Amino acid sequence: MKDQLKKDFPVDWEDDHFVTRREFFKFMTLASGVMAAGTGALALAGQAPRHMRSFEPAMICKVEDLKPGSSLAFSYPRPSDLCLLVRKKDGEFAGFTRRCTHLSCPVEYDIQEEEERLYCPCHHGAFSVENGAVTQGPPPHPLPRVTLEMRGEEIWATGVEVVKH
Amino acid sequence: MNTPEYHRRRQKAVVFVGMMLFQLLLFFTQIWLFVMVLENLLAGRTGMALPAAGLSLLVLAINLWMLKGISDLSRSPR
Repeated sequence: MKDQLKKDFPVDWEDDHFVTRREFFKFMTLASGVMAAGTGALALAGQAPRHMRSFEPAMICKVEDLKPGSSLAFSYPRPSDLCLLVRKKDGEFAGFTRRCTHLSCPVEYDIQEEEERLYCPCHHGAFSVENGAVTQGPPPHPLPRVTLEMRGEEIWATGVEVVKH
Repeated sequence: MNTPEYHRRRQKAVVFVGMMLFQLLLFFTQIWLFVMVLENLLAGRTGMALPAAGLSLLVLAINLWMLKGISDLSRSPR
């Protein structure tokens, strides 16, 4: 009876242990492959071009609605995407998303001692009105720009530009 | 108990355990790399993503090499 059992199941205890170890290594190598694939996928996603994203153009306002040195809040491209149209003191227009890149508080146009900036009151972060670059405080990266187009007397938003670094 | 075969098996067991611990260390390194890349991407920084992915692939290659070594070790005459 015992001989028959050994013949039917020819795996002794030692061999059983070896199989378990090999299985462990196989499993760990598989898990390692999954982690490598995940990291690779993230790296590729990070390399994908995302400088400029175009959306359906939308009219913001007319030129005469905004005086130099003032700003207007609007939503683009979705109603939940808050943005800010700024007419600088020199009369030029610039558009930025309104969410601070630190903790998403709404930024506001601010003039301090003749110097223009986009200011976040939550943690005193500030951005340049020229290009959205961080000039002060904790924001980790620049404000995305809203690209603008003049159509006669109207100002249209045409896309969102994310600055990579 | 004091046969050469017994000593050979014990030596193999030590090698196995050492390789297992090393593999665990490598796996934790890969998890750390993955989390680091994810955190940096969410913060808008992409500079280290490709080197980290390359390092993770290198770790995978080491794991595959060790798996092959383990298979050879298990198959070798005891």
